[in-house]
Amino acid sequence: MLTKFETKSNRVKGLTFHPKRPWILASLHSGVIQLWDYRMGTLIDRFDEHEGPVRGVHFHNSQPLFVSGGDDYKIKVWNHKTHRCLFTLLGHLDYIRTVQFHHENPWIVSASDDQTIRIWNWQSRTCISVLTGHNHYVMCASFHPKEDLVVSASLDQTVRVWDIGSLKKKTVSPADDLMRFTQMNSDLFGDDRQVKLWRTNETKAWEVDTLRGHMNNVSSVMFHAKQDIIVSNSEDKSIRVWDATKRTGIQTFRREHDRFWILAVHPEINLLAAGHDNGMIVFKLERERPAFALSGNSLFYTKDRFLRYYDCSTQKDSQVIPIRRPGTPSLNQSPRTLSYSPTENAVLICSDLDGGSYELYIIPKESVGRSDVVQDAKRGTGGSAVFIARNRFAVLEKSTSQVLVKNLKNEVVKKSSLPIPTDAIFYAGTGNLLCRSEDKVVIFDLQQRLVLGELQTPFVRYVVWSNDMESVALLSKHTIIIASKKLVLQCTLHETIRVKSGAWDDNGVFIYTTLNHIKYCLPNGDSGIIRTLDVPIYITKVSGNTIFCLDRDGKNRAITINATEYIFKLALLRKKYDHAMGMIKNSQLCGQAMIAYLQQKGFPEVALHFVEDERVRFNLALESGNISVAVASATEINEKEQWYRLGVEALRQGNAGIVEFAYQKTNNYERLSFLYLITGKLDKLSKLMKIAEVKNNVMGQFHNALYLGDVKERVKILENAGHLPLAYITASVHGLKDVAERLATELGENVPSLPEGKTPSLLMPPSPVMCGGDWPLLRVMKGIFEGGLESAARGGAVDEEEEEDAGGDWGDALDMVDVDGMENRDIDAILEEAERGEDENDEEGGWEELEGLDLPPELDTPKASANARSSVFVTPTQGMPVSHIWSQKSSLAAEQAAAGSFDTAMRLLNRQLGIKNFAPLKSMFIDLLNGSHSYLRAFTSSPVVPLSIERGWSESSSPNVRGPPALVYDFSQQEEKLKSGYKATTSGKLTEALRLFLSILHTIPLVVVESRSEVDEVKELVSIAKEYVVGLKMELKRRQKKDDPVRQQELAAYFTHCNLQLPHLRLALLNAMTVCYKAKNLATAYNFAKRLLETNPLESHARAARQIVQAAERNMTDTTELNYDFRNPFVICGSTYVPIYRGQKDVSCPYCTARFVPSQEGNICGVCDLAVIGADASGLVCSPSQVR
Amino acid sequence: MASMAAGPDHLFNLRNSFYLGAYQAAINNSEIPNLSQEDIVERDCLVHRSYIALGSYQLVINEIDEASATPLQAVKLLAMYLSTPENKESTIASLREWLADPTAGSNATVRLIAGTIFMHEEDYSEALKHTHSGGTMDLHALNVQIFIKMHRSDYAEKQLRVMQQFDEDHTLTQLASAWLNLAVGGSKIQEAYLIFQDFSEKYPMTSLILNSKAVCCMHMGNFEEAETLLLDALNKDAKDPETLANLVVCSIHVGKPSPRYLSQLKLSHPEHVLVKRAASAEDNFERALQSFA
Repeated sequence: MLTKFETKSNRVKGLTFHPKRPWILASLHSGVIQLWDYRMGTLIDRFDEHEGPVRGVHFHNSQPLFVSGGDDYKIKVWNHKTHRCLFTLLGHLDYIRTVQFHHENPWIVSASDDQTIRIWNWQSRTCISVLTGHNHYVMCASFHPKEDLVVSASLDQTVRVWDIGSLKKKTVSPADDLMRFTQMNSDLFGDDRQVKLWRTNETKAWEVDTLRGHMNNVSSVMFHAKQDIIVSNSEDKSIRVWDATKRTGIQTFRREHDRFWILAVHPEINLLAAGHDNGMIVFKLERERPAFALSGNSLFYTKDRFLRYYDCSTQKDSQVIPIRRPGTPSLNQSPRTLSYSPTENAVLICSDLDGGSYELYIIPKESVGRSDVVQDAKRGTGGSAVFIARNRFAVLEKSTSQVLVKNLKNEVVKKSSLPIPTDAIFYAGTGNLLCRSEDKVVIFDLQQRLVLGELQTPFVRYVVWSNDMESVALLSKHTIIIASKKLVLQCTLHETIRVKSGAWDDNGVFIYTTLNHIKYCLPNGDSGIIRTLDVPIYITKVSGNTIFCLDRDGKNRAITINATEYIFKLALLRKKYDHAMGMIKNSQLCGQAMIAYLQQKGFPEVALHFVEDERVRFNLALESGNISVAVASATEINEKEQWYRLGVEALRQGNAGIVEFAYQKTNNYERLSFLYLITGKLDKLSKLMKIAEVKNNVMGQFHNALYLGDVKERVKILENAGHLPLAYITASVHGLKDVAERLATELGENVPSLPEGKTPSLLMPPSPVMCGGDWPLLRVMKGIFEGGLESAARGGAVDEEEEEDAGGDWGDALDMVDVDGMENRDIDAILEEAERGEDENDEEGGWEELEGLDLPPELDTPKASANARSSVFVTPTQGMPVSHIWSQKSSLAAEQAAAGSFDTAMRLLNRQLGIKNFAPLKSMFIDLLNGSHSYLRAFTSSPVVPLSIERGWSESSSPNVRGPPALVYDFSQQEEKLKSGYKATTSGKLTEALRLFLSILHTIPLVVVESRSEVDEVKELVSIAKEYVVGLKMELKRRQKKDDPVRQQELAAYFTHCNLQLPHLRLALLNAMTVCYKAKNLATAYNFAKRLLETNPLESHARAARQIVQAAERNMTDTTELNYDFRNPFVICGSTYVPIYRGQKDVSCPYCTARFVPSQEGNICGVCDLAVIGADASGLVCSPSQVR
Repeated sequence: MASMAAGPDHLFNLRNSFYLGAYQAAINNSEIPNLSQEDIVERDCLVHRSYIALGSYQLVINEIDEASATPLQAVKLLAMYLSTPENKESTIASLREWLADPTAGSNATVRLIAGTIFMHEEDYSEALKHTHSGGTMDLHALNVQIFIKMHRSDYAEKQLRVMQQFDEDHTLTQLASAWLNLAVGGSKIQEAYLIFQDFSEKYPMTSLILNSKAVCCMHMGNFEEAETLLLDALNKDAKDPETLANLVVCSIHVGKPSPRYLSQLKLSHPEHVLVKRAASAEDNFERALQSFA
């Protein structure tokens, strides 16, 4: 039983839940009816009009009404909105036991000790029916939830079912087989101590079963609204839960002293209430929070008897594996917490079964699906169990306050005692545990056995770590504590309503739910409401504007929220003013609350940007010291008070101009004159004196005169004001003799005597050193915010420039048409490069020795060693290095090279391909070798460990079985090269193209492919590369032979007979055509032109070709004889570049298959530069599949 | 076998930093209050071994004098051995003297240093003579490495099992099992990667961890990721020989020529295995060529 709310009061006799709001009515033995909010835990109202106990009370399901019936024979209908009793229904002649509204008709049914049941119409306020027949007290009467029936129970030991169909138009419908009276206050058989289950049909009712167990009178019994259980309570101080189908007791809850009198069930949600001698309790039978664990976007949770998986990114929900459900039908044994290890795909499920136990499941990789077979989980007992590392979990042993660290085989790896008596453990980063006790939590490092942090907290229920594991939120019933990862308190939040769940968003804002709100908490502890909730939810993840949550039915929901407010506040907090500014511009953030927040948090200048109202604006401006805005607002308002406050602030800031303006506006002359005095503006001061004179303000005039040090004026003022003695004294003291004498005569004998023996001194204000206006102002108050605004504007103004990629390939290609347009600049360089390896010196090397590490196993026992142990120990012989295994296993040259057996590799290449010139292969050999090992720094200061890298690794490769070495060259690289070779050819970079094709030819002997079909592709690549190498070499040679036009034409002609790609063939033909035409070999040119036209060339080229065809048709002759007969099929010799016509003898290169005139036999192939022409060879072996 | 925990382990962090290659951090955080006499000696050993790992041999040689404890003397020997390879004969001679002494010879640190030095000498049987009986995690871990070097992963596994029985979650146990996983290859490489991944999540990244992760990636055929990791490592320590060596290997595989890394390595660590291998490869090539001349 999970108690949600408890009251203390007089004996509770009646209870009813409000169908929508979190309210419950409790009618007491004292006659009072209490209205409670069980969520907030407050007494909302009390209705005290009944005399004596109130036994029946019921809420209407839609109107703001409730009905009550008491021992004063009265049925009262109340409006709880207006707190008034609307009317009283009189008629019963004895105690009223129960009252109930009908679910749709305006009826009330009441049961009374007067042996009758009455049905009332509460609209007409009349009794419409009296059901008589019981011959003892009727303890309970209730409407059927669907049909026109009333059931009643009485102390006459009968249960009666009444047909009330006649009250409406009578309709007959078959009764369902099991009647469910969700609310049936059945004092069934007073001292029977039994609960009986009845079944009814149209004509009769009969007893189905009896539930025995209560030790005293059963007060109340009911069917649960959602589950197949029956709940009963009794005067034996217990509440019992029964299985409705098996009819066995499931659970019993006892109280010490209180007899139970009444039960009520909430019509919608999973809540029950029970009234007893000293109050009532609102409770739940089972937890509704689904156990879940989040990892990245993956949410694992339990529902019913399955572990399910929800992907937050795709919002897809699927069932993973069935999990064991306890066979015993006891409550609250469902999974409580879940812990997940993503790398091992393992799930730990904890429940309260057997006083706390866990089950460990490994989720099979493929069968995320329908399998219904329950995996044999690894189990154990323990308070709580969580993963603390990829393959370790900790289990709490409450009794000894120890944790057991276990591996995935459920074996104990380590035991550790905890620093505090712990009743639950939570994850706290790899290898760390957060231990909870009643009043504090600690983070404990299991390896160091050190307490990393400690914090006093209320009883923590849930622990939520931020995504970066830097902060943690500790959720208690009514408190949220945010702390750092070392448990340094950052802030504490108190909630009046129970806190349910929470998650961190990516910005470090904690989003949490209470029973009825989604709220946020900023890192500084500011919190606010995001939205309200109808039903409680459990947040699982927050991602941007979306909150993922589970509801009480275990359904996943994604709620979109408006995050503007807290993002904005966060931006302010983090001083990201540009961001905040952007939000102000783009969204409607305004509102008094926001302004108040800004003001309170010290951002009046930001708030200023929101406000339209001038008064508020003025206040904010003053607060933020923004005088100019304040002046503008003050001008708008133009009231004395504002001017005055503006003056004060301006004075504080030393802005004399504004002060003066403000004083002038309010005609505050005294202040103004003092201001003039201290700022030294004497001219204005005298002006002010005149104004005072005009205004007849003697005092002001005198003051100003005093400030100015104008004695004559003062005397004059005093004289005019009639203060002649004062005027006289002033004059005489200041030595104005003539005036003094004049005044003395006027005064006559009333001349005052001057004090004797004192030398008067002049009271003159010092003359101003300088006449200053404003004080120098520091540029501090000029808002950071404006700064943010500016920079934001600047950021937006940055132009993006796009650079155009210049130079089309085809434009370059046209150079080929222009005979002299090609530069043959770097042929030499290329040649050099091709042969660069050759000038290396031969040196004797000791590779084999180095690799082998030829250490004979030292078997003789050490002589005088202090270690007695070593005499027994025999050093094992060395194992075989992986590279040896490679070289033993393989008959592929590349693998031999990678294994370091260069001689074997060479022998293989010689035998297979007739290669003799290895110089071009040298760098590749060395790369292969270098690429075959990685280097692992293992133990400090000890030698590095070279590790051999194997090819074709997959997760399923078995250990200790050596794969072939990882190779540096693969087929796809060569294909890439081919593509760039084509491209280079197209764009006329012939030397580059030649280099690429040659490189293909040089690399292929060291390429290894897997399948047979790939072998054919490799062979094809060789022949393609060969054709291009021959062709390009000829073309380059042609360009060198400027002085030999015949040879030029010949080479150009031969080039057209290489097996080229169509675009390249077109270029070759165009080339040959142009060369021949220029050399006036029109017939030959005609041939090329014809062939060119067949290739569907560019229009410009086609035109040129047609012109040549026309010209040649007129004069079909050649001026020079060429060694070129296009009608006779031929191949070209790769070294001498002469045609070898069909039928003529030739020899070929065993590797690249280039053909040569017989005289070349025995030379190194001029095409691939590797093999010996005409040598015997077994053919290319480049795949293990050829060897097998 | 579950080992029941006693009091807090004050040197835990220091040791961890040292094993994971955060040498400077180990040195910086070596001021720990309330250490027992034994712990102080161990602490000093770790600090000086950290200095050695950082290449500050002379500092170690100067700081440790005749009066220092035996383990420290051994550490000094290691510094001498590594700092002046020319004099290694005399260093080894004095090491042998130490080992001949019954008390000093059975000291774990002395045996550890002996193992390390003989391993450098590639005299594995001599090294094992002193280390095989184990006794400390360090010694066992060294044994694992020696056996890996000897290509006897079966023996290495036995050593590892001893370590696991002692403390399966010990940093050295984890490291050693990662080493062995790498050495036996196949699916075990994934496990090695996960171990290093765990370390990188739990402790500050060091170039050692990055390097080890990169090696795993290379063995899994993922050279691009390895390169990224290695460049990270290079940022942390631009002269780390293993980073450079692995970068050479990696860039060969990703098809980016890397003569600079190799020449950098040749200059800074002429004795590195990769340099030696590359040099002997050239010789080997020429020699093999002879047979076709």
